[in-house]
Order: sequence, then C-alpha cells, then structure tokens
Amino acid sequence: MNLKATIGMETHVELDTESKMFCSCEVIESEEPNISVCPTCLGLPGALPVPNKTAIEYIVMLSLGTNCNITNEGMFHRKNYFYPDLPKNYQISQFDFPVGINGSLEIVLDEELHSVEIERVHMEEDTGKSVHEGSGRIDSAISTLLDFNRSGIPLVEVVTKPVISTSKMAVAYIEELRQLVIELGISKGKLEKGNLRFDANISVADENSNELGTKVEIKNMNSLKSLEKAIDYEIMRQSKQVEKGESVIQETRHWDENKQVTISMRTKEGSADYRYFSDPDLPNMIIDQEFIKNSKKKIQNLPTDKRKTLKESGLSLSDSNYLDKGEKWLYDLYLSTVENTKDSKSTFNFLTGELQGQMRKAEIDKLPEWVDSEKLANLINLFETNEVSFTSAKDILAKLLGEDIDPKSYASEKNLIQSSDDEEIRALVTSVVKDNQDIVERLEDPDDKLVGFLVGQVMKSSEIKVNPGTVKEVLLKELFG
Amino acid sequence: MFQNKEMKPSELFEQVYETASYTESVLHAHLELFYDEGLKLSKESDRRYIKSESLGLLDGIPIAIKDNINIYGYKTTCSSKMLSNYVSPYDATVISSLKKAGIIFTGKTNLDEFAMGSSTENSAYGPTKNPWNPDYVPGGSSGGSAAVVSAGSAVASLGSDTGGSIRQPASFCGVVGFKPTYGTVSRYGLIAFASSLDQIGPITNTVDDTRIIFNEIQGYDSKDATSITPEYLKLDNKKVKVGILKEFMQEGVSEESQNEVNKVVSLLQEKGHEVTEISLPLTEMALSVYYLIAPAECSANLSRFDGVRFGIREAASTSYEMMNKTRSVGFGEEVKKRILLGTYALSAGYFDEYYGRALKVRSKIISDFKDAFEKVDFILSPTTPTPAFAFGEKTKNPLEMYLSDLCTIPANLAGLPAISIPTGLSKNALPLSVQIMGKPCSDYSVIDFAESIEEMVEFNYSANLLEENNES
Repeated sequence: MNLKATIGMETHVELDTESKMFCSCEVIESEEPNISVCPTCLGLPGALPVPNKTAIEYIVMLSLGTNCNITNEGMFHRKNYFYPDLPKNYQISQFDFPVGINGSLEIVLDEELHSVEIERVHMEEDTGKSVHEGSGRIDSAISTLLDFNRSGIPLVEVVTKPVISTSKMAVAYIEELRQLVIELGISKGKLEKGNLRFDANISVADENSNELGTKVEIKNMNSLKSLEKAIDYEIMRQSKQVEKGESVIQETRHWDENKQVTISMRTKEGSADYRYFSDPDLPNMIIDQEFIKNSKKKIQNLPTDKRKTLKESGLSLSDSNYLDKGEKWLYDLYLSTVENTKDSKSTFNFLTGELQGQMRKAEIDKLPEWVDSEKLANLINLFETNEVSFTSAKDILAKLLGEDIDPKSYASEKNLIQSSDDEEIRALVTSVVKDNQDIVERLEDPDDKLVGFLVGQVMKSSEIKVNPGTVKEVLLKELFG
Repeated sequence: MFQNKEMKPSELFEQVYETASYTESVLHAHLELFYDEGLKLSKESDRRYIKSESLGLLDGIPIAIKDNINIYGYKTTCSSKMLSNYVSPYDATVISSLKKAGIIFTGKTNLDEFAMGSSTENSAYGPTKNPWNPDYVPGGSSGGSAAVVSAGSAVASLGSDTGGSIRQPASFCGVVGFKPTYGTVSRYGLIAFASSLDQIGPITNTVDDTRIIFNEIQGYDSKDATSITPEYLKLDNKKVKVGILKEFMQEGVSEESQNEVNKVVSLLQEKGHEVTEISLPLTEMALSVYYLIAPAECSANLSRFDGVRFGIREAASTSYEMMNKTRSVGFGEEVKKRILLGTYALSAGYFDEYYGRALKVRSKIISDFKDAFEKVDFILSPTTPTPAFAFGEKTKNPLEMYLSDLCTIPANLAGLPAISIPTGLSKNALPLSVQIMGKPCSDYSVIDFAESIEEMVEFNYSANLLEENNES
C-alpha cells in the first residue's frame, strides 16, 4: 500500500498595528510585564471592546492578497474556553462569517508554481502570556505569572484547505505567506518574534483512497526548520502505524525540539465545544465596496507580481523566488543593475553570491552610499566580457565596498585588464610550448591535468593579464590541432 | 431650588443622609454610603452656586448608583461575594457624565446578584425591603435604587434594566423608572448581565427628574461599540394614538393591574386621545426567548470572574481548580443556575434548537413592534402583573418569579424606550403602575407623554415607612 500525506495549515499572523484590536493600548515589545494594559484588555468588569479600523483594513488587504472573497457583513463571535491568560475566558474571534473566504496563494516549489487553496482568513485577538514557574506546563507549575501586554493584539488566522502534500511545500507556503504580509506592510513577519505562529494538521491515507486519514494537529510552531522536521516526523510516525494496521488517534501534539519528536498534548474527544455565538458587544461590521476599494489602493507589488517582473528579466523561477523572498534592497538593486548588464543569471549570481557574501564577511548590512547599480553593472560587465578575470572582479568588489572607486579605472590602474588578443597570446603559447617540451611529450589527451599547468605557465610568462580561457583554447589548438 | 437659594446643596445632602440614617436600618437599600466625600463635594457645589458658577440643573443633587455601575476608587460588588473586595480603577461613562454635571453620589445601592432577579432577594448582602411595607419586596434587580428614591434617601438613582430591572422595582416602590432606547446610554462601565439587553436608566420621583437625568447620561460614547448617535423622534403629543396590548390585559395579569390601565385609558379618552386595542401574539413568547438569550449572554459575560485578576480567590493546587472553587464559592444559586442554563443553550447540538431559535423569534418580535408602531404612537400596559409580593412568596417557584417581568421584557428584546409611572394603590396599599413603550429613539416623546399622564392621574401617595418615621 502506498501512502500519501495530506496537510492543512493554520497560521496566526500578528498584525503590526499601533494599538490593540479592541482598545487603544499601544502594541509594544517589552520585557516588563503588564505595562500596556487597560480595563478592556484585562477583561475588567464593565469594560467593552471597540474594533480597531486599521486592523480591519489590514485583514481585508490580506484577504485580497490571498485572492479571497470578502464577506461584506463580517461578524465577531465569542469563542468560550477557560484559561488563565485569556482575560475574559472567551476570545473574540470570527466563526461563520470570516472576513475572507475561498482564496488561493501561489507558491514556488523548485521550478514549479503551485496554488495553495485558502479556506478562510479571519480575525481574532491574542491572549496574554503565561510563564509557568517550576515547570513548563500549567498542570505541574508551582506558580504561573501572567503578562497581558500581548492580550488583545490583533491576529489574523489564515487557514488552508487540506491540499499540502509535503513538508517542503508547507515551508514554501509559510515563506510565501510571510513575504506577503511583509510586502503588504501589515505585519513585521518576524518568525523568531512569533509574528507568525503555525499549526499543521496532518493525516496519512492510502494514496488511492479519496478519504483522508485521521487528523493530528501539531500546535504552535514558529520556525521553518521545526515545521519541516515535525511534519516529516509525523508523516513517518503515522505511516508506520497505518502500515501496521493500527489506527491513528485524533489528538493535538507538539514538536519537541530537544528530542526531535512530536509529543502528545491532549486527545481530542470529538471536537472541543467552544459555544460560539455572535458577540453582543460588537455590532456586525459592514465591509462595503468603498472600504474594499480603499484597502485595495494600499496594495502594491505583491510577491507574485515581483516574481513575474524577475522572471521577465530572464531569471529562472527558483532564482526569482529567491530574490522575491529576500530583502527588498537586494530585489531593487538586482532590477536596476540587470538593466545595464547582459546576463541576468550572472548578475543574480554576482549579487546574491559575491556581493552578499562579502557584505556578510565585512559585517555590513547596508551598501555604502557610493555603491550603486551603475558601478555594479560596470563591474559585472568587466568580467562578463572577459576584460578582467572573475578573481579580479572579486578583488575590485572588495575594494569598492571599502572606498569610492570606479571599477574600470581601478582595473586599468592596477593592471587587472586581461588581454584576449589571440596574436599576442599565440606568441606566448609558442614560447611556453618550446620551453616545456618534456611535459608536452607526456600529454595524452586535451583533458590531461598538465594542460592546466601549461596554461599557468603562459599566464605567468605574460607581463599583462591574459584571459585564461583564451589561453587554453589557443594552447589546445596548438597541441592537438 | 439651589438657584433661588431656598437651600444649599450641602443642606440637601445632610437632609438626604439623615433620612438614610434611619431608613437604611430597615430597608438595607444602600450597600455603601459615601458620606464624607459627598459632604465635601456638596460644599464645593455650595460655593459654585454662591459664585453663580453652577454646572447646571443637576449640580449638587444627591443621586444613588446601582452597585453594578463602576465608580472610580469605590467598590463595585454587584451584590456578589465574588466581587466583595473589588474596587473599580475607572469610571463608567455615565458616572463621568454625572460628575461633570456636578452630581453628588450618596452611595451604591443593593441589587439581585449581577442583576439577576426580580426581588433583591438574590443579593449576597441580604435583601432590600420595600419602603411601602417592609414585609414586601422592593422588586429587582434595581431594588435598592428604587427603594432609596421612594424612601427619600436619595433624590434619584441610576439602575440598569435587562428585562425590567428598572421599571419593575420602580413600580413596586411607587416611583418613576425609565429604560431608554438600547444604545442611547453608554454601557461602558456597567457590569454586563446580558449585553444585547442591558440599558442604564434613571429612577426618580417625577417624570421631569427622569427627563433631566436622561438628558445628562444619553449620547454617543466611543467606548461602547453598540452606542448610537440618537436622532430623537419628536411627536406631537396633543392628540396621540395609544395601543392597548391585548396580551397583557388577560389571564396572568391581575385585575388590579389591568384596572390601572383602564383608569388611564378613560383619562386619555377624556383628553381626546385615540385608544385602540392591538395584539402582538409573539409577546407571549417573549419570556421564553428572554430566558434563553439573557442566560446565554451571561454565561459568557460572567466567565471573566475566575479569581485570576480581581475579586476573591479560593486557594487550590492548580489554576483550574482555583478557578473552579472560586466560582463555586463566589457565585450565588440564581447566578449559577443562569450560567448553566446559558451554557446549555449554547452547546453544540442544542444551539439551533434553543439559542438560534430564540434569536429568530426575537427578530420577529422586533418587526412585529415595528408594524405596531405604524398604527399607534405608544403602547400602554401594566408595568407588572401584580403589585409587590411578600418576601419568600416566589423564591420557591422561579417560574412565577420570572413572570413578574412579563410586561417589561418585550421592550428589552426590541430595544424600545419604556417608562413606568405610578398611577394608584392596590387593596394592600402597595403602588401600581402603568408602562408606556414607544418606538426606538422616541425617548423624549415617551417622557413627555408620561408626564401628561402623571398630571392626569395625580398620584400623591408616598411610602408608609417615611410617614411613620416622620410622625415619630
């Protein structure tokens, strides 16, 4: 029996608004607990929620960015469950009228485009944070400290249909979603800060079956590496069970980073009853055409559009995706540089390989002001036309990062311009062949390592820089005809 | 009174406080009295009048506040053990408005725990007595707020009305009680019972006092998303069409209560108003609908009382056990009953049958009222099916207790303004009232019309307790 895995993702995106979802408390990053709180986000008696318009605009933008249909009359529901860091013991969320439904997100996997179907995009408020002392878990903690700075920060939950089949695809999906929220300017998108937190629903079934297997949910991950490993582990764990003829238990598990395994958190007996009902404190939110139009105006240059532009410049899909997911300045730099170079691939390689590599080594995260796309294009063109060797180009780049030079003048000045003049080179080759007759006699075929030695001798004998490619070509012609 | 220097605010405050000092021992209407601060503030008010810098009609008027409305720095207990130690760190919007108007707070008044009840018998701090006869209940849940006005230990008060909690006790205590249109008075700072039904309103001796206080507390509040910017309808009250609701003039409503309506009808007809009988069959289902919607909302609203951030906390070895114990100890029986009822009504598998269906009937009731108000300007009915009942009379039978809100609940379900004014006495010498309901945002017209009835009926009785004490 061949098994296939089916994965659905639920991702919480923390929105980058100035104030919280239902009160005017500032959204802050702070180690000091409980400094951005008020009666509403503390759930004090008598306090009421008032929706944050910017947050609603952001969720409409995300819904549009994921090609969802917008529900014109959205509704807030109360999701009832008791937990110490949930101040009202219900969370204001959305149930049967989410803001966005039935969308899709285009992702890149290797050299292929895939479309991940989105089931819904809805809004909810974040909870406070519990710090369990004496143990990591609430049931065995000696005491629990609560911080409500996070309580009430707007979250958007993006839920896919069960259409993802591998861990790589899940990672590509999260990468795409992350880029989208950054590009939209609605979230900082920092995984390490928990701006995106994801749950994966995984099941395994016979590949010929139309039915899905029993679903296991892996909760609350915020690293792509963990996501990939957790999914792979879980597929393996479930597959073994299915192959042995055992049934998979529907449950919630979490990824244990130390042990590199998923661990059962709780068994779901049916589904939890959250007793959703529409929040009587919040009238229906009307999202009219005008509001949608205004939100649309704020959307420009989505990752898919960027990718298209990059592909049009001549890059492969995966290279386009790499730049798309990278930092904005690199994307901009590439596009302005490639306008003045001949080869998009080598421009891409030079910028993402050499330039980024050297910047990392020099520990600079911003290009010096004198380094512009024009100078870089000139430099790329120098080695592309064989006027300087790639090694020289790297040296020139290093120099350029340190001081304001003109690559071409610098190359001439430092005698880095290499000759590709055949006549000149032929003379050198003839002379080297003559001086190394013993070696020439030992040569058996053009792939012989000794050819490289002879090329080196030619290069050494020259007063000026010569292009090693041309040297080799001339040498082989001389020796093997 | 203050303007023409008949009396100083501090003198009125002292007088009200003196009344309180002998009525409170019998009535237990105030849970807390703010004597020191009240006296200080009333003296500040004195000075404003001397300098002709009064803040308006309400400057220096002593008003009592139901103890489910937050006043900064004071306890808000909701008459619950759960909040016995809870001091509010903020003012409700109505409190801020009244402070700006120069009002002096006499203190906080007793209620049925979390406003759930019709007699104040559900208060964790003991019941309030009816000033007309201490053997009888003052009604509820705003029993304390109605009793203080009736007894004169405050000039007026604020109550909250979810299913009749202002109008029913006002009726039982022979004073005026007004529930405004839903959304006209901010609920920010009112501890929620059932959010879609709760509304703050005044309890006063006269309809004019109601007008003045309503005028001060109404208006849009950005802190309450259900708050509206009211565009009040102004009806010409010279000749109005009044509908008598058939469903509240039949079995289930006492003859005494029906007679008050008939008495008012005759007076209205004498003045040339047009009176017709109307029928809204669904109002007979209002009670059932209410007892699904209100508990459902309260089951979530009261979840926040868990011992984690405020209120009492019972010691336990885990946080869940702590929440569990705290809620078991902190809530009284009626509150627990309603939380259970609401939790059940919202549960998977029962939602559609109970809560879902209740919502559908509610929207039908709303549209029925809308149709009715195409034909009539106001709807007249008894406020309560009977006058005040004796202590213990209905505690054994909750359904009978619930029936005392029969006539008041529809206005909450439909969000309508409704006022109760005293019109006569029962054979037991207890007050009886009529209720006037109007279309949404016709609040001032309802008040004006009630005032005209107030003039016609000339209800000049006052509570016995007060008279007896005055004689002694």
